[in-house]
Formats: sequence, structure tokens, C-alpha cells
Amino acid sequence: MAGGGALKAERSKRGKASKRKKMKRVSYHLDMTPLVDITFLLLTFFMFTTTMATPQVMEMSIPPEVVDQVEVKESELLQLFVRDDNKIFYAIGNEDPQEIELNKIRAMSEVENLREGKRNRMITAVKPSNDADYGTIVNILDELNMAEILITAEITKEFDEDGNPKKRERRFTIAQMSEEELEKIKEL
Amino acid sequence: MPKVKKKRMGFVIDMTPLVDITFLLLTFFMFTAKFKSEAESEQKFSIERPKVTADTSKVPDKDLAIIKIAIDSLTSDTTYYYELLNEVDRAEVWKLTESVTEEMKDKAQLPVSLESLDDLVRNTRIIRSETVFAIDADKRLRFQYVWDAMDILRKNRATVFNYVTEKKGA
Repeated sequence: MAGGGALKAERSKRGKASKRKKMKRVSYHLDMTPLVDITFLLLTFFMFTTTMATPQVMEMSIPPEVVDQVEVKESELLQLFVRDDNKIFYAIGNEDPQEIELNKIRAMSEVENLREGKRNRMITAVKPSNDADYGTIVNILDELNMAEILITAEITKEFDEDGNPKKRERRFTIAQMSEEELEKIKEL
Repeated sequence: MPKVKKKRMGFVIDMTPLVDITFLLLTFFMFTAKFKSEAESEQKFSIERPKVTADTSKVPDKDLAIIKIAIDSLTSDTTYYYELLNEVDRAEVWKLTESVTEEMKDKAQLPVSLESLDDLVRNTRIIRSETVFAIDADKRLRFQYVWDAMDILRKNRATVFNYVTEKKGA
């Protein structure tokens, strides 16, 4: 029982009353400068190494090589030609190509794709000349993509026989320009 | 008269709020940081990507194969590069392709000719058919170069692919 007694004595020493009397609160300052140094170093490192603007992608699909010829009515084919000097021409079917500005393509595509009787049937083909700039082609595709927003919205408003919303079926593609077309465009 | 001594006051700046903010920013940047890929850090060219508005989809970071078409800033020659993000696939594809020389084997990105690009695309499709292809080309390029790359993709039945673009600033 001696051990127990000793414990009791210690306890009384640690009691609150004695603590208040003897222990002095020491105010201390923690020097944070090295901490700040290191944090700033890491912060600047991460700030400079991160790439904020991550690149985006634009999805494209091209017709497969296996040619199962799809019959297309001429009046349902919208062609966009891009000449060597990056001038853009458009033609529906066999019409003579007309020049068009890049920023008008969106409106044109919307009108043509939603024209009565050709709704959801129009095929758009971009036919760039080999010497046109790649940037121009992507810009045209971008405009066509933007036009799709309205076209798809309009078409899905309609319903098929089963009462389901219609799907947008035909989009656009890229094709190579034929020799004749190249000649035709050159003269304009 | 005794001089009135001015007492030097040592002062302490409380740095706690500063530390708080810095740590906050630090953690933010640490978590959002996405590091350049192996190939990007070694490449010596830069590609001026076409700027585009509509699409908001980000580049997929898994099983992506990128065909880069760049203009050399000094000689203004056009060069094709091929990069495969999946490291396991990459080792296999590089091994399978004859045109990849021994010292090229550990590189993430290869300068390629059109013929070897064809082989590489085919082998990539063999190793993993669901690999997504992307064409990362400079906007100043003649379209011919891009078309040649697209033709190779088409031959290998990868008819759906991506153009790598950049967001147009407001």
C-alpha cells in the first residue's frame, strides 16, 4: 500500500491550486520566416510549372476507305471549297460555286440544313485545296460545328412515327478536291 | 541634463495570415498542377494550334496517340512526330515497329516519315484497337500535310479522330 500512498501525494502536488501559483505563462514567438520562405518557393514553383490552358480537341470523322457508294441526291449536297489563297466558296449540288466569308458560313449552313424538304438530309462536305492553310479548314469546321447547335436543336424538336425525338443524322465531312473542281475554283 | 534615451523597440510581424494564404495557394496549385508529359518536356518545337470556339472537350489523357505536325522554326521544314501516351503500349509498339532504332526505343515521341507513321499507326491499332488518335498540327501548315496523316489513319480504319485545338480568347 505504500505505492498507493506515494501516488496520492504526487497527485496533490499537481493540483490546480499549486499550478496557478508556480507556473508562469511564457509568451513565445515562433519565427515563421523559414516556413514562409519554403512555402513561397514551392508556391512559385507550382505557379510556373502548371499549364492553365489545356488544349482541347475537335472530333472529326472521315468516311472509311471501303467504298460502299452512298447515293446522294445532288440537291442534297452542300460543298465548301477552299482555294489556295484561303478563299472559301460554296455550292449546292451542281450550282456554280459562290464566294462566302468565313463568318457567314454558320448562318448559311443553318439556313440550308433547315430548308423545307432537305431537313436532316443535307450532306456537307468540306473540300480543301492541298495548298490551303490547315488553320482555315479548322476554322470552317468550327463554324459548321456551331451551326450544328441550332440545327440539332431544331431537328430534335420533331418527332418520328414512334413519338421519339428525331435524331440528327447527317453531319459534315472532309473530302479531297477533284481536279475538275480545282480548275473550276481557280477561275473565279 | 540627462539625455532622453529613446528606447529601441524590437518589433515582430505576425506572419500567420501570410502563411495561411500562402499555404492555401500552395495547396491549390499543387492539386491543380498537371505536369508536362515526357515528350512535351523534351521537344524543341512548338505548335501554333488553330483557335476554336465551339468544342469544350478536353484532350483525353488515356490511350491517346498524337500525330504532331510541326514547322521547324529555323529551317521551316515540316516534320511529323508520333507520340503514344500509354507507356506499356508504347514499349510494345516501338518494339514491333522496324523503323524504330535502338537508341529511339526509350523516347516517348519519335520523329517519323510517312511510311513509318503508317507502320506505327497500324501497330498501335494491333496492340490496342481502342486507342484514340489525335492530330496536332500547326495552323500555318499546308493542308496537304494534314491530309496525308488523315489518309494514313483512314487506311488503318481509324476514321474517327481528333484535331487538337486551342480555345479562342474572348
